[in-house]
Amino acid sequence: MTLKKDDRGVLLFALNNGEIDYVKQAIFCAKKVKEHLNLPVALVTDSADYLIDKFPFCKKYIDIVIETNDETPTLQKRNFLDGIYTIKKLLWKNHSRPDCYELTPFNETIVLDVDYILGNNSLLNCFKTNEEFLIYKTPTDIAKTVRNKQSFEKISDRSIDMWWATGFYFKKSPLMEMYFNLVKHIKDNWHYYRLIYQIPNTNYRNDFSFSIAIHILRGFQKSSWPAQMPGNMYMSTDADMIHKIDNNKITFITDYNHNGSYLGVSIEDSNVHIMNKFSLGRMIDKEFENE
Amino acid sequence: MDDRLEKALEFSNYMITLNNQRSLIHEKFLENCIHYVNGGKFNINRDLINFCHTLVQNNQPSAILLDENNTPIEIEELQEFLDDILNIYSTNTNAYLVKFNEAKKNKSIEGILDI
Repeated sequence: MTLKKDDRGVLLFALNNGEIDYVKQAIFCAKKVKEHLNLPVALVTDSADYLIDKFPFCKKYIDIVIETNDETPTLQKRNFLDGIYTIKKLLWKNHSRPDCYELTPFNETIVLDVDYILGNNSLLNCFKTNEEFLIYKTPTDIAKTVRNKQSFEKISDRSIDMWWATGFYFKKSPLMEMYFNLVKHIKDNWHYYRLIYQIPNTNYRNDFSFSIAIHILRGFQKSSWPAQMPGNMYMSTDADMIHKIDNNKITFITDYNHNGSYLGVSIEDSNVHIMNKFSLGRMIDKEFENE
Repeated sequence: MDDRLEKALEFSNYMITLNNQRSLIHEKFLENCIHYVNGGKFNINRDLINFCHTLVQNNQPSAILLDENNTPIEIEELQEFLDDILNIYSTNTNAYLVKFNEAKKNKSIEGILDI
């Protein structure tokens, strides 16, 4: 594929950990990108051979494959829930995201988590703003009326505003190069910064390093920079299970108080971050039966 | 369990589901009422519509409007902008009404969720 300098596109990252197939999720995510945004998709992965061998139809949805070696310095692990009764401690490879400025083949890039499933074309509005950088700030909980407000707003109880690296947009520019260089510096000195910003968890997390970099770049003040991504980011948790995906409609069984009380939630034509990777994987298997 | 309590709890579950779905439908309405023009981001609501209408009534062909990020945005064709936001607002309120009534008329959780 020949790219022009002013090309726009979507960049995804898929670094498999042995149990969660992020490559499969990336193909499904790319399929939704094609359906709603009709933009070229580039995938950064450490499993390029697996991608082609296991999913030969992926070329319909992924235009560019960028091979990378995961350079996670330590084998960090985190808990992944599959509903409230199953928990697995698995490898968590997330250190490549700050390299997106160098990795992207596009001049204007939307970066998405592969478990962020698009249901509308609101992200095309990124290209209608004059901003160099847009990022999600306040997600909408799919069970917002019943679930206790979670730690969605601050990176820790007494720290700064949380910004979500789940989805962001940037134009190549000196400012954005400086921003991503700062994110890389924070990643390289993670334990220093997590102590300064009172983050108890030792794991490196992109949402946190992106938030810290924003806080530093805007002079440690509240500010109107950066602007927020267009449209809502709906959020489910890994305690929630997907009941069904039917075109643009997703039905969930959500746990809302961790005592076995469940609520059915149906959401349509919306962009949803699905934290239960196992549940998403099972649904994608069904979706891919006809590929 | 006492039948009266069992029925009440069943209805209570229905109300929780209905309330949450209504909330999501409202969020969707608000999301759809955002309009991007000339690099600016505008929440279309009655205030914006009334303000633009007032400017047009006072024979102003263009205006500088502050968007959601307090960025001043020049609107050269104010009448056209007003027509656009009125159209978007009407379309979305209509869609909101349809979805709201669909949720309201269903008297079971399965019906509300359409499963």
